[in-house]
Amino acid sequence: MKMGKDTLTGLKVNHAMRKQVILLGPDDSIDCCIQYLIKYKVNALLIGNDGEKPLGVVSKSDIMGAWYAGLPLSTPIEMIMNSPPLFCGPDDTLDSALDTMKGNNIYRLYALEKDSNSVVGALAYPDIVGLLYHYCSQCDQGIFNKGKETPYDRVKRYKVHEIMTKQVESCQEETSLESVVEILSGSKFGAILVSDDQNFPIGVISKTDITLCYRHGQDLSVPAKSVMSTPVASCFEQDPVESAIKTMILKDLHRLFVIPGENQSVSGVLSLTDAARLRSGSCHACISSRIRVDKS
Amino acid sequence: MKTTAKDVMKTNFKTLSPDSPISEALDIFKTSTVDGKTIFGIVVTDKDGTITGMISMYDILLFLLPKHVKIWGNISDIEIEGIMDRTAGKLKNFLVGDIMTPKVISVAPDTHLMMILDIMIKKHVRRLPVVLAGKPVGMVYISDLFNHLLEKV
Repeated sequence: MKMGKDTLTGLKVNHAMRKQVILLGPDDSIDCCIQYLIKYKVNALLIGNDGEKPLGVVSKSDIMGAWYAGLPLSTPIEMIMNSPPLFCGPDDTLDSALDTMKGNNIYRLYALEKDSNSVVGALAYPDIVGLLYHYCSQCDQGIFNKGKETPYDRVKRYKVHEIMTKQVESCQEETSLESVVEILSGSKFGAILVSDDQNFPIGVISKTDITLCYRHGQDLSVPAKSVMSTPVASCFEQDPVESAIKTMILKDLHRLFVIPGENQSVSGVLSLTDAARLRSGSCHACISSRIRVDKS
Repeated sequence: MKTTAKDVMKTNFKTLSPDSPISEALDIFKTSTVDGKTIFGIVVTDKDGTITGMISMYDILLFLLPKHVKIWGNISDIEIEGIMDRTAGKLKNFLVGDIMTPKVISVAPDTHLMMILDIMIKKHVRRLPVVLAGKPVGMVYISDLFNHLLEKV
């Protein structure tokens, strides 16, 4: 691979994109949409008619907004979709796609083939992390390639605290689900930390949990503790980024809450999005020190 | 010669409610048989008995499958037990209606067997619910179709 300004230089969207794209019709219900989001473990779905250029996108945030607005689950998704979807070309560079995502403050792009007007893939931050992880795992400097001759501990590695977001959205266990929805709607975070009266973190509510509550006919007035997922998945500030990413991939998590040490309070959160912003593998060897870290 | 769905369908089949916990589906898959056969798919019906979906072993396996599985080729020390424990914990929050296949392909009692065969081959399905006025009345299995069509060959 050619070395460039960062590890992704020279790579194209179709190297990282996910080729399974799920399309729902504009008349399908919110209920159906939530079900597909859960079934295919995606954060957004493309809306349109077969064989035509897609009309819009519905994300978990849109679904959350629909619940907050009191829309019934039978509402057609056309009513809540964001239109039009943002596209990139399968042959665009990953760098330009990441710039578009960052510039528009969005979390995914759909790869559109110009000639046929058909969507051939979806690119989201986790896909980019996947590609980077792939390089790390094949690299002799990789932290998990023990037994190789290279003294891997001589290379400077990124630690979790260097790329984590040093801010966390949190609420108390008695906070109503309605307030949680309000907080998450106005924030860039996809999940909120739930703490007990001693301020000890006891659970997490993600946008996924909220869409599920909506579908199950839950009441928005219930306290956070009744719907949160436990335990809180966490890692240490000094953990190498590579092992934190591995944990997220293996455990199917989008984020880990970061603590300085055992029994200390949460100092930040590391998400797959943060990891993708690094645009490089997890150590300095990867890019001959010509690293660029995007700050959100 | 039998020619339509109603001639070969099995009228003994299991149903579940979309509000059933997934553990109920797991119990049926693990322990039940219908006419001596293992069950791979269960019809999901609402309160009126109208078909709203199907849940199959495939749907449950799809749920178990981690999102970023394509990266896994590079990870050698995977502990499958830990992953399954985590999934088991997660499954508690979900209902049959959350992970079932909602848009079910079905046939009518008078659908021709060749038509059924065509659907099964093109859509890669091995069982089709037979639906009359929105309510399931039977199941056609590819094995029954095979045995019936090839009986005299």
